[in-house]
Amino acid sequence: MRRACIRAVLLWLSWVTAAAAVQESGHLRFGVLPLQSPTKLAGMFLPLSGYLGEALGRPVQFVTSSSFSSFMEKVAHRQYDIIYLNPMLYGRSRPYGYRVIAKVASEPFTGILVVRRDGRLRSLGAENLPADLRIGFPDPGAFAATVMVRKYLQSLGIDVERQMQMQYFGSQDSAILALYNGLVDVTGTWRPSLRSMPPLIRDQLEIIAETPPQPQMPIAVRDDLPPQQIERLRQALVGLAAAPGGQSIIRQLGFKRGFEAASDDEYLEVSE
Amino acid sequence: MNDSATLSVNPAPPARERWALPVWHTLRGRLIISVALVHVVLMGLFTWEAVDRQSQELRQEMVNQGRSLASLMVVASTNALLAEDLASLAEVTRRVAEREDVAYGEIVDVRGFVMASTREGRVGRPAGPVIESSELFPLAESDSVLDLREAVLIGDTEVGFVLLGLSTGNLERALAATRNRGIQYILLALVIGSVAAWLLSVTVTRNLHELTLAAKQIGDGDLGARVRVRSQDEAGTLALGFNLMAASLQRNSREIEREHRKRTEAERLACVGEMAASIAHEIRNPMVALINSAKLLGDPKLEAEDHAEVAHIVETESSRLQRILDDFLTFSRLPTARIVSADLEPLVTETIGLVRQDPRYAGRIAFECRYAENNRCRFDPDLIRQVLINLFLNAMQAMPAGGRLMIRLQRGERRMGVSIVDNGSGIPERIMSQISRPFFTGRKDGTGLGLSVVQRILAQHGTALSITSQEGAGTEVSFDLELESDG
Repeated sequence: MRRACIRAVLLWLSWVTAAAAVQESGHLRFGVLPLQSPTKLAGMFLPLSGYLGEALGRPVQFVTSSSFSSFMEKVAHRQYDIIYLNPMLYGRSRPYGYRVIAKVASEPFTGILVVRRDGRLRSLGAENLPADLRIGFPDPGAFAATVMVRKYLQSLGIDVERQMQMQYFGSQDSAILALYNGLVDVTGTWRPSLRSMPPLIRDQLEIIAETPPQPQMPIAVRDDLPPQQIERLRQALVGLAAAPGGQSIIRQLGFKRGFEAASDDEYLEVSE
Repeated sequence: MNDSATLSVNPAPPARERWALPVWHTLRGRLIISVALVHVVLMGLFTWEAVDRQSQELRQEMVNQGRSLASLMVVASTNALLAEDLASLAEVTRRVAEREDVAYGEIVDVRGFVMASTREGRVGRPAGPVIESSELFPLAESDSVLDLREAVLIGDTEVGFVLLGLSTGNLERALAATRNRGIQYILLALVIGSVAAWLLSVTVTRNLHELTLAAKQIGDGDLGARVRVRSQDEAGTLALGFNLMAASLQRNSREIEREHRKRTEAERLACVGEMAASIAHEIRNPMVALINSAKLLGDPKLEAEDHAEVAHIVETESSRLQRILDDFLTFSRLPTARIVSADLEPLVTETIGLVRQDPRYAGRIAFECRYAENNRCRFDPDLIRQVLINLFLNAMQAMPAGGRLMIRLQRGERRMGVSIVDNGSGIPERIMSQISRPFFTGRKDGTGLGLSVVQRILAQHGTALSITSQEGAGTEVSFDLELESDG
């Protein structure tokens, strides 16, 4: 009880701190959904933050959160100026005043099911599923890795909760590493995370299924940003691939082509 | 060559005294002080070096520990800082604050906002002015906290930084403890060194101490004093040499004593003979005159005019005989001096008044007196009056045609100088060595006892007569008297 109180106080303090900081500093806060470990995520997004900061003429601070839920709590409190999240969570952020301006220009946004090459699971089917199969996910809110994969399994007639032992590992990386280390038999994730793994790990893993595509990961901005800044931000994102050093930033992000313009309509169909 | 004749007995000038610690005058004291000084200097240098080295090592260790701790804070807080996980960051700073030497620890994000701190009320606020880089020793005089800064880097990009302050209190206490230990060692070395030096000095100076006592005994006249030869070292050799020297001295002393007795006896006999001859010679002339006059006075044919003349001769020669006997008695029965403190100036003035009345020189001698401001000294007034009379008369007799007689009293550091200077005929060099002998006189009517009396009186006052003369120019006689002591 006491620990919960302390956590609540600290959480409240973090909101107050962040809110006060937003008021007092000239930084734009770029919140990135904790898809990876914070350090790895920072390695991916810091070059982009720097690029956007130069384009806007004011510094852009990269921040993430300890979990999807805490990220969304900060979104709900409008603590981020810019957010990068999955299509499903974008739908949840809309009521708090966030609007998409661009999306990842890449392969279709799909979830994948990955197994060890030497694992016992070779194919998916409701009938031939081994008993006590263990499946790992990053987070219940991970759209591609969790929501889309579960939906896909359901479409195959597999009741995940009944037929499998589910386990959440907090991030995409953790879920993949759990598979690599034999903690689970199959893991739900998405392609960028698998690509970011070291070759030694990646070569031991194999994709056995992929979900139908959904709109790509969006970048949204809070609606109280000046329209000029929003436009400059959109142009900077769309023009990243052609900008000097842009390809390097895209490689750092683990993307293939950078960003492209996106509209709100594309995400209206995204269901949970 | 200087043609002036000089006979002087001058006291040696007092040695200049230099102030020094009494203990420094002894070999033992010098040895102890030297050894103690060497110990203190060496231990002082050693301690200074040790403290300096330890100070550098402790400071370097503190810097290394601080950097390690700051690096650990960076590692521990990077993810939490990026995720703005204040609970995790607070845990990091709480752990850091458990260390005794941590003055403060803070984690600051890239905007300069404190995300976690060991200090109350800092979270969520701007960090304010902060150091650009870690401090290094030496710190400023009033600074007792070593401030360190470690960037939180993702690649080359700084996403925040850690501030860490380490109190130098423990360091200063450790250095103070080292310094105090060093001082204790110095004092210990001082004591041990002094004791060792004392023991060494006792060994070295034991023979010297005995030698000193024996030398003092010999100085006091005990030529039989000897020292024990305790060792075969340099001190033992010295003791052996001292004993040999003392034995030789004793033999020579006995020899000299025997010779002295013989010579004194011979001189006494010679003096008696000389005095007897002198007296006989001095007395014979008036006696012969008296005898012849007595014979003439018995002659009835002597006329009245001649009778009166013979009677005058009898009277004159009798007086002369009387004076010779008086001078001789004065010389032989000189009373013991009763020395008192008195002012010499009135005595000189009074004596000048006496001799000035002598009709033989009345009006022809000009007296000139130069006195000191304070002329008090120690003397026997009756005897010094006799000295002054004799010396004044000698000087006046050297100026039969008149002249100038200067009397000068000069106050020295310890003694009063008395000089009597005339511009008379001076003393021929050939007789200079004889003038102090009894019955030697250059005058027809002199007895030759005047200067002898003067010398005997001055000897009783612990001084001697100094005579400087140049024939045809004049003579200066001088002596000195002990000044009246302050106490």
